[in-house]
Amino acid sequence: MVGFHKPATLAEALALLADEDARPLSGGQTLVPMLNQGVVQPSLIVSLGRLRELRGITRLAGGAVRIGAMATHAEIATSTLFEAGQTLMPRTAVQIADPAVRAAGTIGGSCAFGDPTADWPVTLCACGALIELASAAGRREVPATDFFQHYLQTELQTGELVTAVTIPPLAGRGVYRKFARVYGDNATVSVAVILDVDVDVAVEAGRCRFVRLAVGSVGPRPIRLTAVEDSLVGRMLDAAAAEAAGAALAAEADPLDDLRGSAAYKRRILPRLVQRTLLEGINP
Amino acid sequence: MIDITLKVNGSEQACRVDGMTTLLTVLREQLLLTGSKRGCDYGICGACSVLADGRLARSCLLLAADCEDRAITTIEGVAEPDRLTDLQQALVDAGAVQCGFCTPGIVLALEALLDVDPKPDETAVRTALGGNLCRCSGYGAIVDAALKVAHG
Amino acid sequence: MAEFETVGQSVPRLAGAEKVSGRVAYLDDIQRAGLLHGALLLSPHPHARIRRIDTTAARAAPGVRCVLTGADFPHRYGGFVRDEVVLAHERVRYAGEPVAAIAAATLEQARQAIALIEVDYEELDAVTDVDAALAPGAVRVHEDFERYGRRNIAPLPPNVCAHTLLSEGDADAAFAGCDVVIEGEFRTPAQVHAYLEPCSALAEVEAGGKITVWSACQSVFRVQATLSEVLGMPMSRIRAIATPVGGSFGGKSDVTVQPLAAMMALRTRRPVKLVLTRHEEFLMMRTRHPARIRIRTGAMRDGTLVARSVHLTLDGGAYTEDSPAVLGFALLMARGPYRIAHLRCEGLAVYTHRLRAAGFRGYGNPQVSFAGESQIDDIAARLGMDPVELRLKNCVVAGDTWVGGQRIEAAGLRECLMAVRDAAARRPTVEVRPGYRRGIGFSAVAHICGILSTSAIVRVLEDGSVTLNTGAVDLGEGAETVLAQICAETLKLPLDRINVAPADTDGSPYNWSTGGSRTTYMVGRAVAQATVDARDKLLTHAGQMLECSATDLELRSGGRVGLVGVPGMEVSFHAISQRAHWVAGGPVIAHAAVMFEGGGFDPKRTLLSGNGIGRLGAFIFGAQAFEVEIDEATGQAAVTRAWSAHDVGRAINPAGVNGQIIGGVVQGIGYALYEELVQEGGASTNPNLADYKVPGAMDVPRIVPIIVEHPEPSGPFGAKGVGEPPIIGVAPAIGNAIRALTGVRLCTLPFSPQRVLDALEPPA
Repeated sequence: MVGFHKPATLAEALALLADEDARPLSGGQTLVPMLNQGVVQPSLIVSLGRLRELRGITRLAGGAVRIGAMATHAEIATSTLFEAGQTLMPRTAVQIADPAVRAAGTIGGSCAFGDPTADWPVTLCACGALIELASAAGRREVPATDFFQHYLQTELQTGELVTAVTIPPLAGRGVYRKFARVYGDNATVSVAVILDVDVDVAVEAGRCRFVRLAVGSVGPRPIRLTAVEDSLVGRMLDAAAAEAAGAALAAEADPLDDLRGSAAYKRRILPRLVQRTLLEGINP
Repeated sequence: MIDITLKVNGSEQACRVDGMTTLLTVLREQLLLTGSKRGCDYGICGACSVLADGRLARSCLLLAADCEDRAITTIEGVAEPDRLTDLQQALVDAGAVQCGFCTPGIVLALEALLDVDPKPDETAVRTALGGNLCRCSGYGAIVDAALKVAHG
Repeated sequence: MAEFETVGQSVPRLAGAEKVSGRVAYLDDIQRAGLLHGALLLSPHPHARIRRIDTTAARAAPGVRCVLTGADFPHRYGGFVRDEVVLAHERVRYAGEPVAAIAAATLEQARQAIALIEVDYEELDAVTDVDAALAPGAVRVHEDFERYGRRNIAPLPPNVCAHTLLSEGDADAAFAGCDVVIEGEFRTPAQVHAYLEPCSALAEVEAGGKITVWSACQSVFRVQATLSEVLGMPMSRIRAIATPVGGSFGGKSDVTVQPLAAMMALRTRRPVKLVLTRHEEFLMMRTRHPARIRIRTGAMRDGTLVARSVHLTLDGGAYTEDSPAVLGFALLMARGPYRIAHLRCEGLAVYTHRLRAAGFRGYGNPQVSFAGESQIDDIAARLGMDPVELRLKNCVVAGDTWVGGQRIEAAGLRECLMAVRDAAARRPTVEVRPGYRRGIGFSAVAHICGILSTSAIVRVLEDGSVTLNTGAVDLGEGAETVLAQICAETLKLPLDRINVAPADTDGSPYNWSTGGSRTTYMVGRAVAQATVDARDKLLTHAGQMLECSATDLELRSGGRVGLVGVPGMEVSFHAISQRAHWVAGGPVIAHAAVMFEGGGFDPKRTLLSGNGIGRLGAFIFGAQAFEVEIDEATGQAAVTRAWSAHDVGRAINPAGVNGQIIGGVVQGIGYALYEELVQEGGASTNPNLADYKVPGAMDVPRIVPIIVEHPEPSGPFGAKGVGEPPIIGVAPAIGNAIRALTGVRLCTLPFSPQRVLDALEPPA
């Protein structure tokens, strides 16, 4: 027998979740398949469905966007509150799985699960997002790059919930490129780019004013190298520079041999996909 | 066990579930609405699709106890009794119905699409079907039926 | 002017309205008072001895009504080799093999009780691929093989359950005289049927002891016969009924869970329903035979194909089942649809400690065609010939013979090849993005639709409408509708006056199975014959009523019989049938029984040894073309356009034919690009639909079906089958496009991005 509660307040929810045999339920797109297959057997399911404070997307003074943990991928995909480089967010959301999953799955649930082959981890790292966690002891914020630690391992402690994700103001525009076997699959390799360039169409290049670059599904956590980003700022960003950036990331990559391809294959295609995504950022 | 009340196809239904009972199980076994099918219990095949507050949802991934505040529409509630929607008729006319097991889920996916986008193009139709597997038809006639309803 | 009233029309599928509104009851939708629910325990090991099974705790668990183990199924069964048991005896031979079954009041109770069963396994070394199985000194999957009952008792090497050799002419000598000889080795994976409806059965025992089993199946007769063997009961005490089937493609042609449900019903004397989970499907149910095909083709400089030799190794998994039939059929088709005089085709079906392999749409033909049609393009490239021209030069036409000597009566293959070639040539040009390449590949397809026996009963009801009983099961491909159309057309009745009775061994006359692309052709022939006989009986009755000779009478549309040339002189079917029932003659009942008697092997022409090959024929042909786009950065290949032309003799229901073509092509795209059940050491690494990728709507383009009609003299209204051919030529055509784009012949399916990238950029 598995118990079920749907508390009205966050405090109640956190109190219930202090028991490590309790599981929070947000969109259910990850938890419920695991329940159906018998992979997890909690004693209690705590639905977050009544917690209004976890819902909604708001634009803050200063231009950051605060996304409630229970915001669905579909809500993020259609939100008009993301501007400039923050558009990486809706561009990522629209490529997650399929319409039914997007309608129900939540960004909080995705973060908490911590699958590095999923789409939010790599994009949130590129955005420099802050993940807000709450527990009975209070709240804290963790940068996405620290939050996603290993395969299905995050900074979340027992009794903690993801309550919000905040996207800082970001210049330029965002591009998310996901290379997958078929539509809706998790990525074989994913690339998240935020890019602000002075475009010179004649040479198909642009002087880079601001860049964020992260790659996913090629290791236990998304890979973002601020040294690579810093080296690109102020330079002309052309095909060669883009490929070099990709090669640097590939050198850090530690992908697995799996159904989607061998580690060698993923390392081989990573620089090309990075190059392609950066060039798309320059020349949409 | 928990007593819950679900709103399904416009009427209130009393059910008894535990925490991990899915909506699909309640629909099929307690409410005897067997039009939603169990194809994988994993959220991939789409044969269990329903509408939750008008949005496409996988009933095999919804916990029944979590659905008390939602209006659920199953395939049985898509049309008036003994009638077919234009889309349903179009699917029959287009030869898009083969074994029929995926068909209820496909109907719901396309009804959900046409509700927000009455004139989708082929890409939008195929995207809307992205979470529904059909192993018999190869999708061709299904897409034709949706485009016919949308554009005549 | 329409020649026919319903034949040739895309009449809507029978039960279509019910299916779109969710009102069709598939097996799992059936409820029964007092129903028990079944659950299974599957072996986690590919090969192990069962030292001990302790079911004590399970038997005592709440709601449990019976627990079965291997001891409850003493009879071995199997159509070709009696090597199989319903529940493992003291040995498990594949990970996923069922070891125990429980029936309980609720499904949860059954599953909870399953978890209480203790099995003490002694793990044993396993052979998990054919090379390991065939290695000298390999562990034997069936140590007692020589003691099993077998249809063919010729001795076989260890771990081989079937061997067949087929040869014509003298291939070895002929190769020596060829200007060009190409050799290759091809490999194909385990493809999962992935029908949407999991295998399921419901069994119920009457007070008198007769058992009824409802199930999703391709043949109620096969279910009945196998249950008879397994339960040790005569067929007269067993009734098998087919519920509407949610897809099958060969995966439900053999028994699945019917024996388990049946035994649980017999033990408990309660109705029992057993439905597999999708996970259990992946572990316990069957796949297409993984294959290795070694092939040589020889030709002359002018493009004449002279010789072909094929060596085929099929991985049949842990039990023989239909592997000998798949083997034989594959070898029969391995020549391809060409006039090749010198042929040597040999093959083995091998035991491994893996899940069972079964017939799957194409039945061995996709594997050999992948190899054969790939090699045809290699020959063309070597000769500098256009690959379609090479095929046109050599392809069979009406009047030619197949391997064995059977005459091909009608063959629209040339027309199919030209149709896809012309369609591909007419495609609008599209600017290909930088970093991508696009190209076209072709293939030719041959298959059969005539095999084994079938029958039909036509009964004219008291009001002049008709009930049609056949043993055909509609799997979704539209059999019911087509058969109704044949009957309706023959009697000039509207379609809604034909009642197609569901397949039920109590009421249906025998049909071997729905499969083998045979329903329209074989069952359709029986329906046509029986309906003609019914018509003749109606005319005879009418002649008596109108006091004239039956030969002066004609059928009139809408269920009437009238005197030729005299419009007012007629009687209705209603009136005829009333008279037959109440006055004279007795009810109008007609029947026909048909056996496919073509096929066979002329011993002066063909050497055939080993397990042999059954009598097959009524050849069906097709040709396919695929435009493939490759991403040079990743190697990902996608089909951007597709054309699939099939000679169906006559399309009785064109929409139905188109549905089979498009559906089959998409399954073929899955086989070519995405699908592979991956195993390591006998354990599947992707036993779910998230990791085993079946094509979705976004992964495939519009498929263009092209119907070609060269009427088959022996077919109903000239019709032949189309169920399987659309899947058969897809993989080689895509491989041919990839070869044209990269210069490299990919010999292993699926064409994953990694394999294609290695072709584009060969590793150092």
